Amino acid sequence: MTVIKEFTKGFIKENPVFVMALGLCPTLAVTTSVINAIGMGLAATFVLVFSNTIISMIKNFIPEKIRIPAFIVVIASFVTIVDMVMHAYLPAIHKSLGLFIPLIVVNCIILGRAEAFASKNNVFRSILDGFGMGLGFTLALIIIGGIREILGTGQFLGFQIFPETFQPMLVAILAPGAFIVMGLLMGLMNLNKKR
Amino acid sequence: MKYYLKLGFVLLIITSVASGILAYINTKTQPIIDENQRMEQEKARREVLPLAVTFKEVSGELTYFIGHDKDEKVIGYTFIASLFGYSSEVKTMVGVNTGFDIENIKIISQAETPGLGANCEKLDFQKQFSGKQRSDMIVDKDGGTIISLTGATITSRTITNSIKTALHKIKLETEAEGAVK
Amino acid sequence: MEFIGKILFMAVMAIFVQNFVLMRFLGLCPYIGVSKKLDSALGMGMAVIFVMTMASTFTWLIQTYLLIPLHIEFLQTIAFILTIASLVQLVEMVIQKTAPALYKSLGVFLPLITTNCAVLGVAILNIQSEFSFIYAILNGLFAGIGFTLVLILMAGIRERLERAGLPLSMRGMPIAMIVAGSMALAFLGFSGLKF
Repeated sequence: MTVIKEFTKGFIKENPVFVMALGLCPTLAVTTSVINAIGMGLAATFVLVFSNTIISMIKNFIPEKIRIPAFIVVIASFVTIVDMVMHAYLPAIHKSLGLFIPLIVVNCIILGRAEAFASKNNVFRSILDGFGMGLGFTLALIIIGGIREILGTGQFLGFQIFPETFQPMLVAILAPGAFIVMGLLMGLMNLNKKR
Repeated sequence: MKYYLKLGFVLLIITSVASGILAYINTKTQPIIDENQRMEQEKARREVLPLAVTFKEVSGELTYFIGHDKDEKVIGYTFIASLFGYSSEVKTMVGVNTGFDIENIKIISQAETPGLGANCEKLDFQKQFSGKQRSDMIVDKDGGTIISLTGATITSRTITNSIKTALHKIKLETEAEGAVK
Repeated sequence: MEFIGKILFMAVMAIFVQNFVLMRFLGLCPYIGVSKKLDSALGMGMAVIFVMTMASTFTWLIQTYLLIPLHIEFLQTIAFILTIASLVQLVEMVIQKTAPALYKSLGVFLPLITTNCAVLGVAILNIQSEFSFIYAILNGLFAGIGFTLVLILMAGIRERLERAGLPLSMRGMPIAMIVAGSMALAFLGFSGLKF
């Protein structure tokens, strides 16, 4: 596989959210607005890139038996770093993402990539993979967040795009809307894949 | 046995390196986080009691701040009222004058439903509290005058109730403080 | 009497009003992944109730008697995830030795629980809500029950969906999401409950 493919496969072909259905919890929970989606996506990308880097660097020193706990410690450290840095410099986004920042630890995308890719490939490829997957995740979050924000509040990134008379579909930013938007998007992806 | 010792050793090294790095970053970020929080509260205090120039902290059962004007005269108090709302703890900074009429309120922390309860951060909702007294702290659904947020009666009720309780406490505490003097 | 009232309130809150899966979006991966068969849903549910209660207990003790006295709260994420991982491992070994029959039915689900964000989620929420020891344990128990309830409901629906004549692209994951959305709509009705 060429280097570029390594990077771009996460965007659509192996998109972690739509195709592999990984990391659903943060995907649905934080996408009430586009800005939250971007914040979450970038936080996860950061963790993904660095944990992939470190894990592919130390993979040869780690005995098979303690592979998972060792990976979890590495991932948890980067998550904590993101948590602290965001709390200090982006307090508003930190507050609205809340619980879901520490929960990046158990995001299946990150442990999944560590297991399936970084523990078998070299550092350079692992970085590309982490970056691509992270951006794919961010892209998916922005799409879902965009649809929900536009339908639910009539705004995009906080800018009014529908006239004031537009009656927002409040359900889109409530919990049920998340599931329904997600289901329809997944169906759409399947339709696309079949062709 | 030796193999298991090695396993433990490797894990120990990874964990201690991780903890060391985290401890270092923590010492860098913690002061900024604390400072942000302090600044935010200070700003909120100035917003709810705009006439005050200096604030003096009084800690007690409910910590409150006495606001002084430039002649060192007491012109009011600020405090944080908090109660659990629909899905989160809702914290409201409240400013009152010396007669305990509300000057302004500002929601400083909440994670209620976006589009419903989270609208409590809108100015229109907060403005209606200005000039009200403790006895006015009843939402329209319960026969009062505070117009509750559409679809978020619980959040509105939480805010009014929290202010009501906190106002009562502040009254008692300031009276006790006055009696000591 | 007041104690019982508070417990009842907590139970209704955790199981219905703030249901972990449908309202808080925690534990979605097993919710979608293990809800194809009623039997396995029941097994997974029981295992989750057990681990969530245990995790609430131990993480509360660790936070109160280890992290706070030593002023290392920033290690919370690492400490909690390692606690949960070791707990799951321990439970697996104990059940395997003492109750082979139970192990046969629960065993396969146990490793999956480490990355179930509902478990780490309840542990962090217990600390954030400043629950006392007893309430933290009960909250873990009720949250687990709430998870199991919707998991079993979902499995029942999906067993019937298998035979429904759906468009190909909507089969499987997408329709599961839409069903979850409808369930979340129904659960939204509980949100007016106030005692």
